[in-house]
Amino acid sequence: MRYQPVMGLEIHCELLTDSKVFCSCQNEFGGSENTRVCPRCSGMPGTLPLLNKGAVKLAAKAGFATNCTVHNYSAFDRKNYFYPDLPKAYQITQFESPICTDGYIDVVGGKRIRINRIHIEEDAGKLVHDDYEGISLADYNRCGVPLIEIVTEPDFRTVEEVQDFVVQIAQRMQYSGVCDARMEQGSLRVDVNISLMPYGSDEFGTRAEIKNLNSVKSIGRAIEYEIQRQSEILDNGGEVVQETRRYNENHDDTKALRSKEEAHDYRYFPEPDIPPVLFTDEEIEEIRKEMPELPHKRFERYTEEYKIPAEDAKLIIAQKAFSDFYDEAVSAVPEYKMISNLMLGEVSHQLNETGMSIDEVRFSPADVAKTAEMAAKGVISKGSAKDMIVIMFEKGGAPEDIAKENGFIMDNDTSGLDDIIDGVLAAQADVVEKYKNGNEKLFGFIMGQVIKAAGKGANPALIKEALTAKLK
Amino acid sequence: MNLIDLRSKLDNKEIGAVELTQDYLKKIKERDAVINSYITVCEEEAIKMAEKAQAAIDAGEAKPLTGIPVSVKDNICTEGIRTTCASRMLEDFVPIYDATAVARLKAENFVMLGKTNMDEFAMGGSSQTSYFGGPKNPYNVSCVTGGSSGGAAASVAAGLCAAALGSDTGGSVRQPSAFCGVTGLKPTYGTVSRWGLIAFASSLDQIGVVANSAADTGYVLNSICGYDENDATTSKKPQGGYTSMTGGDISKLRIGVPKEFFEGTDEEVKNAVMKAAEFYRALGCEIIECSLPSLKYAVAAYYLISSAEAASNLSRFDGIKYGYRSGLGEDYNELIKNSRREGFGKEVKHRIMLGNYALCSGYYDAYYNNARRIRTQIRNEYASIFEKCDVILTPTAPTTAYEIGCQENDPVKMYTADICTVTVNIAGLPAISTTCGYDSKGMPIGMSLTGKAFDEKTIIAVCDRFERDFDRRECVL
Repeated sequence: MRYQPVMGLEIHCELLTDSKVFCSCQNEFGGSENTRVCPRCSGMPGTLPLLNKGAVKLAAKAGFATNCTVHNYSAFDRKNYFYPDLPKAYQITQFESPICTDGYIDVVGGKRIRINRIHIEEDAGKLVHDDYEGISLADYNRCGVPLIEIVTEPDFRTVEEVQDFVVQIAQRMQYSGVCDARMEQGSLRVDVNISLMPYGSDEFGTRAEIKNLNSVKSIGRAIEYEIQRQSEILDNGGEVVQETRRYNENHDDTKALRSKEEAHDYRYFPEPDIPPVLFTDEEIEEIRKEMPELPHKRFERYTEEYKIPAEDAKLIIAQKAFSDFYDEAVSAVPEYKMISNLMLGEVSHQLNETGMSIDEVRFSPADVAKTAEMAAKGVISKGSAKDMIVIMFEKGGAPEDIAKENGFIMDNDTSGLDDIIDGVLAAQADVVEKYKNGNEKLFGFIMGQVIKAAGKGANPALIKEALTAKLK
Repeated sequence: MNLIDLRSKLDNKEIGAVELTQDYLKKIKERDAVINSYITVCEEEAIKMAEKAQAAIDAGEAKPLTGIPVSVKDNICTEGIRTTCASRMLEDFVPIYDATAVARLKAENFVMLGKTNMDEFAMGGSSQTSYFGGPKNPYNVSCVTGGSSGGAAASVAAGLCAAALGSDTGGSVRQPSAFCGVTGLKPTYGTVSRWGLIAFASSLDQIGVVANSAADTGYVLNSICGYDENDATTSKKPQGGYTSMTGGDISKLRIGVPKEFFEGTDEEVKNAVMKAAEFYRALGCEIIECSLPSLKYAVAAYYLISSAEAASNLSRFDGIKYGYRSGLGEDYNELIKNSRREGFGKEVKHRIMLGNYALCSGYYDAYYNNARRIRTQIRNEYASIFEKCDVILTPTAPTTAYEIGCQENDPVKMYTADICTVTVNIAGLPAISTTCGYDSKGMPIGMSLTGKAFDEKTIIAVCDRFERDFDRRECVL
């Protein structure tokens, strides 16, 4: 690559409020067209917006989740433009005085990405185009869905930094209860501003904005395509045009939507229908106190206190519900590694197989903890622990009962073991001979024969100990 | 007859509510063909409401407005009854909700006679921009009613209702009240909910009352005022009691007379208002000459702020969801353009252009932001006047009602005529206009009393005191 990419992000997150931001319509995804619409959110004459305080609180939480300053004073403005999916023909947003400013998140390589601002705004509706009939229909269900927009500084230089940032934002918003961050449903959408400059330069090039990227993978591919496209323009002595582009997943390319000349003059001005949002220091502190432990802090706890490998810790924190499940399990039984292994192993495997989410399983964190404890104490074998998870997925039940019913409880009575081992050693005399002559690999084979002879429930650890002593 | 007397006549069964309503409906039929104060007369609904009111009276459940026939300006939403804003754009618009002010009157079983004429979207000072043709001044039908609540003022003056709800963005209740010889009250911003008032300029709009007397305006305001969770800009301060000071001693009050309001005012108007000042002085009030130096910027600031907000507020009328839709247009940009081109009248388009211009990047600071600065300045200047005065006395308009058609081609002259009223809206203060004399042609002259925020009861009492000694002429129809 001959050019240094420079990128900044605008991330829209739909807030997890019960109702819309300026009316009492339900805030939910999907559903039949125009079923969650009222005079307010459809912009009927004479109606006025009514600010949902819950949305303001979530926006403040988003600020705390990203090291922003949450302001005592913020205010709304109108952004004016005509489009049939925007029934008032203006979007209520925060322009002059956003609720949060000056935050940051550290990404891969320890790099600090500065967050310029987080502001509250309302979503627009959707247009459904029927090319066959040659008509367009408006669905206002999404009108007035509360959003925050997180705007970064142009601090990104690599795709990895961008992707890590987006993953972290998604996790932090999810953990704070701000947004469910389901990119595929559009509850978290990313716009990337990208420009190129020669290496060593500190003068930014002309940027293009790629709109509405809805997966971490798309973000990576769109950026790579855009770097390629802009590089070719610059190589040929051309100039990059400032414009808005859309990434097309199927073609894996970006297409221009509108150029700077076609850009709207949004004629922002203060929204006269909504008084400014005022918080006392105490109120801000109250909200801050409600903040849960954030994923990066959990990661630190897992790796530093629990000594979980970084890759494993990363996998556990990826989904809040999964991580909460893990935390509840280890708080019952502090078998950090064993529980981590079970959850990332058989539990995850079964979740993938069944398509279930961790909230839907038939067993509790305490059941997994109990299973891990039994395995750790040698009551059951590690292999049996896995089998137990499978059974718990299928039927549920108390771990102790499952272990008993299936004969997983290991026999820790070593009284008959000597005889069994002697029998096996006698029957396999030639193998034992080879082993003693230096073929140490054969230990496993002999061990297997003993376990087989000892039957289900035999404790492999004890057998190994006794067998090792005999073969000395 | 004032509303208190009407109330007791209804309660004593001297008049029946249905009979009273029929009487008004009959007068409307007789007179309104000429006056044109109503866009829609709700004959059937009014009778039904009157029957309901009578039932409430008979059950001993009468409230202050029960059975009182009132007209409502046609920019105030009424459930099931078309609300046009005097515009082709909303010619057939039927709201599915009541404005809070209307809902509160309905809760008292008032009688709504109909929806009154106005300037299109309340933009104007003559009511002549109405898509349905302008109303005529009951004192002289060749003259304008003033505006934008011209229909409201004319309906009261012509005896076509007992009181009227209007709206006042820059003088739209007070100036037509002055032109039509009746009393008009514009309450403090935040006193009456704007829910259901089709917005012109949201930071200036306020629903007000036109009636036969100051006491009557206060009487109606008692019923419509107060905090409304549907309008975040309403205040919790207004609690009613607006006529509690009428009839009391006002002789200790200090009345400010800001000199700038008399510059460029017709001699006859100036003299009538000064005579009113002498009336108060004779009562013992202290008359204090004072100054509002920023008045010279007020009209410019008002037109920038109100037009900017209007441009945004009126953007929703795009022909997509409701209202007028053009038959022309290949795509939605064309459809929106044509619907607005055909649906809005000239004055409305004029203000939309002006407002958008003022908000454009590059002009924003010079226009909109400077207007905001002047707004702050005007508020401060009022605050310093109110350190020395309790109320402020000014003319309501520089002239009396003029002949229909004579100002149509001179928008600047039309706009500057608002100079006496706009500062009150800019500062969010309450003001009341009443008749203080008649010019040589017999047209009413209006004076205004402006009060401190949420102090309507003082200006109502001061205005009421004048009205008690003033011989108001009936218009002859």
